[in-house]
Amino acid sequence: MKSRSWQSADVYWGVAGAVLLVVLWEGAVRAFDLPAYILPGILEILVSMVDLQSTLMDATWMTVMEAVSGYVIGSACGILLAVILTLIPTLKRWCLPAAIAINSVPVVAYAPLVLLWFGMGAESKIVMVSLAVGFTVFLSALTGLDQANRKSIDLLRSFGANPLMIIWRLKLPAALPLIASAMRVSTTRSMIVAIVTEMLGAYGGLGWVIYQATLQIDFVQVWAAIFAASLVSLIFFGAVSMIERKVIFWR
Amino acid sequence: MTSTHALSDLPRAALRGVLGVAIVGLIWEALVWALNVPSHTMPRPSQMASAVAATPDAYLSGFLRTLVETLIGFAAGAIVGIGNGVLFSKFTRLRQMVFPLFVVSQTIPVIAFGALVVLWFGNTMLAKSVIAFYLTFFPVTVNTLVGLQAVNPKQEALLRSFGASRWQMLIRLQLPTALPQIFVALRLASTLSLVGAIVGEWFGDTTGLGVLLLQAMYNENMVGLWAAILASALLGTTFYGLMALIERTCVFWRNDL
Repeated sequence: MKSRSWQSADVYWGVAGAVLLVVLWEGAVRAFDLPAYILPGILEILVSMVDLQSTLMDATWMTVMEAVSGYVIGSACGILLAVILTLIPTLKRWCLPAAIAINSVPVVAYAPLVLLWFGMGAESKIVMVSLAVGFTVFLSALTGLDQANRKSIDLLRSFGANPLMIIWRLKLPAALPLIASAMRVSTTRSMIVAIVTEMLGAYGGLGWVIYQATLQIDFVQVWAAIFAASLVSLIFFGAVSMIERKVIFWR
Repeated sequence: MTSTHALSDLPRAALRGVLGVAIVGLIWEALVWALNVPSHTMPRPSQMASAVAATPDAYLSGFLRTLVETLIGFAAGAIVGIGNGVLFSKFTRLRQMVFPLFVVSQTIPVIAFGALVVLWFGNTMLAKSVIAFYLTFFPVTVNTLVGLQAVNPKQEALLRSFGASRWQMLIRLQLPTALPQIFVALRLASTLSLVGAIVGEWFGDTTGLGVLLLQAMYNENMVGLWAAILASALLGTTFYGLMALIERTCVFWRNDL
């Protein structure tokens, strides 16, 4: 399925779709003479992105640092926690329902609390991103670690492997596809959470730029920041997908 | 994995969850009390309960308001998502042209749109539901499409040989086959739609759980903030649990859920 989705016809029609959207967008703006606060033209947004180059670069850099730091910390904690719970099944039986319950709480609800606890700086954003990413990765890793073949586990055990070795040699590789897909989904989520938290209170970053621009009713700038954020999210998503394909070569 | 096992597992897991929450609450209360943590750092659960009891109307109306926004956004997202999935599976060209755009649209931080959506739709409940909808429709579209593409071609051929129309094929075979996948997305969407509603309220409103969260933050009212978080938690877990329950009832033939 994956390889089929990259056939040249798909790429061709995908590009056609994108071009059509751009033409429709620009055409609608020009035809109906839409004011910028409803929808600015794409050209206008691109020009403003060039004009605001330095502001946008600084803000993007800050948001990316926060998102990536939180992403790395969250993924590491999530996987580690899943491994620990797999090693101690009793603990897992008690923790799993609680974890699922906590995961169904909207993560943004914690944002005001984290801001009060960790301040307006980058720390609060990193904490929020690691929370959001950590839970997603943790739940997927836990499911994945359970998927190893029963017979293979017995075989390894008959060779005298201890539980830690079974996890390292068998369960973790078996869980890798699920962990990787959770980490792929988490890339865009980490950017979104960083930006949301910045909008609630920050000294810089894309969310802050968007918030300021909204206050100044400068909607072209809002769109410029949205474009920058989407571009970076796409690059982040693409990079992680590429690493995924390299690491999980057997898929 | 027998079905009796899966069914008997549900109440037990729920019980364990409730017990877990109760134990966590007790330990929390005891720890804060024993370590003498000031309530502006970490309030006790009993303080939160009394905060809610002091102004029950604010929490109740906020809860209901956010619930309605979430449900409208969720329902719209589910219907449009399933519709998109069906359309994409029937019209390959449409999928090739539009689906990549959908993928890109999901990398856009929705929240950045918040201000715009409020501007477009006014400061109404609809604006919040639109944000909830935007977060919801994509996972449902993807899973519907994946589920529909997994239909056994032999079964399709069999139904066609009986003279089934395209509509009958869809209702009798394709959608039921895709149902387990669709429900996985709906469960995820239940949480996402709540996120959309809460964040939507941040762009200006007077009632709702998101408003309560924001007001408590600006007033540095830690007790109120926690009460609002727990109210959101209650809404989120209940909605998610209900979706899981409906899933079990509707997709009864799958017992490995």
